[in-house]
Amino acid sequence: MEDLLIRIEKRNDVPTTLYFFTPFIAIILTIIGGGIIFYALGFNPAEALKFYFITPISNLYGFSELLLKATPLCLIAIGLSFCFKSNNWNIGAEGQLTFGAIVGGGVALLFYNQEGFYILPLIIIAGAIGGMIFALIPAILKTYFNTNEILVSLMLVYVSKLILDYLVVGPWSNPEGFNFPETRQFSDSSRMPLLFDGLRVHAGIFIALAAVLVSWFVLYKTYLGFQIKVSGLSLKTAKYAGFKGKAMILIVFMISGACAGLAGVGEITGPIGQLHRMISPDYGFTAIIVAFLGRLNPFGIIFASLVVSLTYLGAETAQIFLQIPQYTGQVFQGMILFFLLASDYLLFFKIKILNLKKNELGH
Amino acid sequence: MATDLRISNISKIYPGCIANDNVSLQFKSGKIYALLGENGAGKSTLVKILSGVISPDNGEVFLNEKNLKLSSPLDAKKNKIGMVFQHFNLFETLSVFENLSIDATEDNKSLRVRINEILKKYNFSIDLDVPVLNLSAGQKQKVEIIRCLLRSPKVLIMDEPTSVLTEQETEELFISLKKFCDEGILIIYITHKLKEVLSLCDEVAVMRKGKVVSVSQTQNEKVETLANKMVGQKLGKIKKKIKISKNKDEIFKVKHLNFYSDDPFETNLFNLNFSVKKGECLGIAGISGNGQNELFQILSGEIITPNTSIIFRNKEIAKLNPKQRREYLMAFSPEDRISQAAVPELKIYENVALNNFKSSNFFEKGLVNERKIKEHSKKILSDFSVNTDNVELKSQFLSGGNLQKLILGRELITAPELLICYNPTWGLDVGAINYIHETLIKINDQEKSTILISTDTEELLKLSDRITVIYKGKLSKIMPSDEVTPEKLGILMGGGSID
Repeated sequence: MEDLLIRIEKRNDVPTTLYFFTPFIAIILTIIGGGIIFYALGFNPAEALKFYFITPISNLYGFSELLLKATPLCLIAIGLSFCFKSNNWNIGAEGQLTFGAIVGGGVALLFYNQEGFYILPLIIIAGAIGGMIFALIPAILKTYFNTNEILVSLMLVYVSKLILDYLVVGPWSNPEGFNFPETRQFSDSSRMPLLFDGLRVHAGIFIALAAVLVSWFVLYKTYLGFQIKVSGLSLKTAKYAGFKGKAMILIVFMISGACAGLAGVGEITGPIGQLHRMISPDYGFTAIIVAFLGRLNPFGIIFASLVVSLTYLGAETAQIFLQIPQYTGQVFQGMILFFLLASDYLLFFKIKILNLKKNELGH
Repeated sequence: MATDLRISNISKIYPGCIANDNVSLQFKSGKIYALLGENGAGKSTLVKILSGVISPDNGEVFLNEKNLKLSSPLDAKKNKIGMVFQHFNLFETLSVFENLSIDATEDNKSLRVRINEILKKYNFSIDLDVPVLNLSAGQKQKVEIIRCLLRSPKVLIMDEPTSVLTEQETEELFISLKKFCDEGILIIYITHKLKEVLSLCDEVAVMRKGKVVSVSQTQNEKVETLANKMVGQKLGKIKKKIKISKNKDEIFKVKHLNFYSDDPFETNLFNLNFSVKKGECLGIAGISGNGQNELFQILSGEIITPNTSIIFRNKEIAKLNPKQRREYLMAFSPEDRISQAAVPELKIYENVALNNFKSSNFFEKGLVNERKIKEHSKKILSDFSVNTDNVELKSQFLSGGNLQKLILGRELITAPELLICYNPTWGLDVGAINYIHETLIKINDQEKSTILISTDTEELLKLSDRITVIYKGKLSKIMPSDEVTPEKLGILMGGGSID
């Protein structure tokens, strides 16, 4: 008789190159996994994958859509990277996005019949502040009342969605809108300038790119970034070094909330142009995947947001050409995260199978 | 049936330290055996070998003259060797019964019957269906003991079992252990508490630096003789000249330091009062787990306690955090080099930047001044003879000794007026230990003060001007170290009293 004993050991030194290469492995595995699922559903996997990953970006319009959807994902993920790097688990970016959109949208509605160059900047600032305030709730509860930020930030998502629901049905609904749950259209001065005629990609992309640069600078070149890094690696060391733990938690949540708020404003002033119930196809949740796929590195996040954005587009194309539900997009996003976590596990740990013979004494 | 456990010529060598050096011992059922020794004496290694957690480099274990191959904890279980560790291996959210049924081979019904029999026989009162997290430390320990008893063990090893127990629970435990012994279970009791050895055990083996230094009947021993054997007459070569500094100013004064914790693995501190004079080293001795961790964190400002007064250089600093205390020229070297004093994943210069004092200009206007930090790091590496000059190296590649030199260098480069260190030479080789001892002596020669919290009595006697002992969160009186003998220290560390 033999006993199989599986022992899991930590690897001591993981090469940095491999660390940044594993997301690619995860993507390849996701594509293979997707192919298998399509095959099981009775489709030709190669053809289905082509509809999913190539067709959507085979023309200029598709490419613009890719950038359009990558913009909020990138922005939110950049914000989340501040939280995640410092061991703060803000998973309520969807709520912060919604609340930012509410505050920004409220300002836009104030100016619905006015024009002026100052209107859009006001809306953007209002949106960022809205997201920031909403993110401060879990941060304050965590620092002063020891609550779990995962639960609080997640539950607040539903609070903000209900607030939005109430506003678009009730006080803010369009008086000429035949009781549809939506607000007035924003005025032209409240809309993000489009980059090209006929394409939906808008100036919000520059906000996202600016966020990438600023976050790189803050994370790698400032004292705040150093504190975030140390706290993420060892809270004990951060305490010993005397970093102001509470202030840092508040700051990273504010940064994260502001980014999500900006993403929300980008959506309502960009492609949507008003407030209604469905302002985000769960960008706030999907951005968590983007943040990790990008290794919490600002430039990695740009790449990851493009990949994940493609799964949104692929799902739409697949719905049209293959008549499969749009939710396959979420299946692909789930697979990416699954394969990423799995390959990370194998990257950081090795599995040893020990073959133990039963003690001879037993016989 | 009588049980006979024999350990023959066991050796275990770790890099830089011999944990077990040719250990041979014999145990027979019907008696309770004590294994006594300081931290690092090699008790835990021996116990881990007996329970199959680690394999010895050399030597054999015989149970009733059968040679045991103990290559995993499963082997120990199969050979009826039961083990209760200091830290419990229980699932807190599962019920007592679920915990016990996890690795049981029989069905739940008969298991419950057997557990109830054990409960009745030994007078244990434990509700089997409450979650383990609702139990007291003593009850959790009983669950662990029941788990061993269910396998009808021949040998039961208890590792420091009273460290988390109250006096009352300790008494109950002793009664149970004596019962087990009467029923023919061989009991090996690992401890550093001298009184427990005398009140509970029949025979005592004392270990020091990996070797068995004595085996004797406890009836022939006293607290003093055991203390002497445990600590040993082991004065080092370099001994500091003790300074009688009666007229010197007190630069550090602690009053009414109290600490209460809900965590059973933390030690409460009771009304500590002490002061440190300029240029003096105050040694705080004690077996680990008597409150040193908590004391260090309070002195460094990681834990702020209410109503405590800490005066440093005539200023009240009790409410300041570690960074603020550093600005007043205090420095800290914690026991845990790898996860507290430094971060292994960070580069050397990043670890240096952890001690960010105002005049360092490491971070100007909130920006990282990498050039400055690296320059400063290079200076530390050369001044404190760390065996690399590459400040970009990740700290995980430094040996323990070099990492400790880096940490001490980082703390000392600010020329602090007071350095508080906790087990600064723990786990280091002789060369590094000497270097660090010389460094600490040099600090005092420069009229700077140190507080040395250490579990190594040799180190304390070598470096301290005055010594006190911490036991169960209380300090003994402070004695000039030329009046202190290893024997006296041993008695105080084991909970006895002198004079």
